Parts: sequence; C-alpha cells; structure tokens
Amino acid sequence: MSKSTNRRVPSGRRTTSTQSAMSTGSTSRGRSGRDRTGTGPSAQPAAAGLKGFRSRHPVVSALVPVALVLAVLATMVIVKVTSGSSAPALAASRLAGGGTVPAVDPGITALAPGVAAALEVPAATLDNVGSPSSVVAPSRTGENQILRGTDGKPVVTYIGAEYCPYCAAERWSIAVALSRFGTFSNLSGTHSASNDVYPNTQTLSFYGSQYSSPYLDFEPVEEATNQVVGNSYATLQRPTAAESDLLARFDAGGSIPFLDIGNTYVVIGASYSPQVLAGLSQSQIAGQLANPSSPVAQAIDGAANEITAAITQVTGEQPTSIANSPAIASIAKSLGA
Amino acid sequence: MTTHAIEARRVPRWAQFSALALALAAAAVASYLTVTHYSDPASLACPDTGVVNCTLVTTSSWSVFLGVPVAVLGLAWSLVMVGLTLPRSWRTASVALDRARLAASSLGVVAVVYLVYVELFRIGAICLWCTAVHVLAVCLFGMVLAARAVARPHVPAPV
Repeated sequence: MSKSTNRRVPSGRRTTSTQSAMSTGSTSRGRSGRDRTGTGPSAQPAAAGLKGFRSRHPVVSALVPVALVLAVLATMVIVKVTSGSSAPALAASRLAGGGTVPAVDPGITALAPGVAAALEVPAATLDNVGSPSSVVAPSRTGENQILRGTDGKPVVTYIGAEYCPYCAAERWSIAVALSRFGTFSNLSGTHSASNDVYPNTQTLSFYGSQYSSPYLDFEPVEEATNQVVGNSYATLQRPTAAESDLLARFDAGGSIPFLDIGNTYVVIGASYSPQVLAGLSQSQIAGQLANPSSPVAQAIDGAANEITAAITQVTGEQPTSIANSPAIASIAKSLGA
Repeated sequence: MTTHAIEARRVPRWAQFSALALALAAAAVASYLTVTHYSDPASLACPDTGVVNCTLVTTSSWSVFLGVPVAVLGLAWSLVMVGLTLPRSWRTASVALDRARLAASSLGVVAVVYLVYVELFRIGAICLWCTAVHVLAVCLFGMVLAARAVARPHVPAPV
C-alpha cells in the first residue's frame, strides 16, 4: 500500500516508470507539476529549459552542490593566498631558517600596556643591579666556533614552552638582555600552566614576535602552549634539526628553558626562582624592572646582565657601550672571557 | 508526505561500491588520525616544517570540538557513512535511510568547509591526513548525489 501511495501522489512519476530513462520522465513531471501550481506562462520556457537540462544531464545537475562546495573552498584558499598571513608572524630569523608556519596561539594575549617599553631597562639600573649571588650564570660550552646565521651574525637560540614556569621567569631576563642589542616587536603576554609549580607565572611569549638587531640573530622556539590537550600541552612550534642538535649537544636531558648563546654559552633552566614573580601581574613585574632594589629587578635584571655579558662575548664585545659598562665588563671576566 | 523516495529506484552497483569504497577509505584515514591523537600526535607521517604541519593542526586547540577530538568525530562520521553505503543499505526501500545518507554526507561537507577554514585562517597550517579525509568526504557527498540522480526507476513485478 505504501508503495502505491508513494507513486500515486506525483501522478507524473507513474509515467516515468514506463519510460526507458529518467530523462523524459522528469521533463514530463516538471511540466505537469508547474501547470498545476499555476506558474506564469513567461516562466515556463525557462523552467522547461532547466528541467530539460536536468533531464539530459542528471548527474551533472546533481553535482551542482559539489561544485558550490568546491567553489567555497577555492575561494578560501585564494583569499588566504592573496591576503598574505593575517596570523601573527614568527620571528623573522625563524622564518628565514625555514621554521614553522605562523599560527594562532590560544595561550597568548596582548601584552599589558607599558610592558614592552619597560623591557628597555636603563643602563644605570642594570649596572646598579650587577650580578646578584642568587642568579645563575651561563655556562661555557667549551666550543670555540661561534654559531652564526646566514647573515654572519651570532645566533642566540631559545627553546622553551609557554606552560613552563621556569621559561616564564627566564623570558623576562632574555627580553631585557636582548632589548639592549636590538628591538622586539609583536611580543605577547602569556602565563605558565595553572596546574604546575609556580602556577600562572605571568610572562611574555616569544611566539609570533620579531626581533631585529645589528649585532645578533634571535631564534626563539616555543614548543607548546599553556593549553592542556589530553595529558600534555598543545604543540606550538618544533625546533629545526639544527636547534634540536644544539639541544642534544648541550642539554642532553632536554630541559627547558634552554638558551644557547652562539654555541659558546648556554643557560639551562631558569637563572632565578620563579617564586620571585608569584602573584604579580605583567604590569607589576614590568613596573619593578627599573627599581634596582626590588627583588624582581634583582632577579630579572641580574640574570639579564649575565646573559648580556655572554652575548658580548660572541658579538666581539659589540656594542662597546654595553661591553664596557661596569656590570657587564665585570661579569664577562667571571664568565671566563 | 513527499514521495520522492529512492525506494522505487535502483542505484547502479558502481555507484553503490564507489560510495562504500570512499566511506571505507575515510574510515581508515580517520582511524589513523584517532590512533595517533591518543598515542603520539607527532608521529603522524607528515612534514611539519612548512605550510603542511599535521602536528600543529592535530594538537591545536581546534582539534577538539565540544570536548570530543575532531579525529574521533571524523571516525564516527565515516563509520556511519560506511553503514549507510553498504549494498544492503542501498537496497533497503526506506525514505528515511535515503534522507539519512544525504543528510550525513551533507553534514560531512559542512564540517569540511568549517575545518578547512580553521586550518587556513585560525591555525595557519594544513594537515595532509585531514585533507585526505576532507577530499574523501566531498567525493562521498558527490557520489551520494550522483547515485540518487542515476537511480533507475524500479518497476515492481506484476502480481
């Protein structure tokens, strides 16, 4: 009964079943259907033409939605290609080195106002801080060959992750030190994982940042975000083969943060305890960088001085204004320069 | 009640088996993505140093939808499509099954458009294995539409 009913309602459909193909049957259905619904005479030729095409090319007609989908996908690709990268750009040095592609990092936020400017700590403050005993100094690798980029400048490589509280601490010092040799742009804010030690330590992320300097190249790698995925953290960037090689040679345990300064000095782990930053916002941390008596400045600026001194050893003590400053010159001696 | 049912038609065997093959292929790739999602996402056989970066895509925050990994959703969808494209399913005279097949394949294409958007504009990287599933999903959608279009009228034998 049900089949009978189904075939009965569109009366034309019964006609189709007696014909050899669907084509003529469809046309017949269309005409009879249109006539009953009262479509105007002027629309009939067009409708009939459309029906005729559908009848003659049923598969082609049926695949029109597929063509539309492909058109949408092609449009997206064209828009993407022609608009360039709207995602945050990675550090220029990393792009030049064939690093990973730009991507949106859900773990980062805009840097709090004033933080970027505060990274340029006055030289007098840095000299005043000097080298506190609580700060760990970079270690010599024993290598004599300075690692240089294709532009001939020494390469400073950082490998860390946004979830890592020790990386959170070390980034402040790296940023302060590198800000003496060049300029950062597009730095972002982030924090360490909330379920690790020193939870939610406020910091900045090198992911998507750019750094330019006449003295050195900076290649940062943020291996993961602070976003939990499964029982780990979402992967963000992967070291290149050369960066992995550095890690394997000087940091067999694969600990992060890892800072390689021209293959000559390395810092493995944080140079000071992240506890110093506990409970402080990015703005509060940045606000204390210029106060040499504050614990934050003692830690961050002190570690930055150590890094700075190591950098001057691979830049040929350039610029002299930094290399000859009292604190840096003193630290450089203790580094075994 | 509409009567435009496929029940009174017969879908050619080539269309039936092509659709099934596409669904099985999608299930196979989705299985691989699911296994690697739960084991080691970095182990995907895929370059990860350029625009093509499977690990970046499959471990991004976009790889989970409503708490469920997209790889798992893809596997579930492809298994449903396998069921809907089995020869027995094609032979079943059911309007609901025909609609379900069309709806499921359409849902797959909608998901493809969304995921390609996410890859291009949110993550900035393309996952080759995901793209394979996307291609299969679009092809499957086309095959379902084509199968419905070429379905021949079925004249019941006179009683």
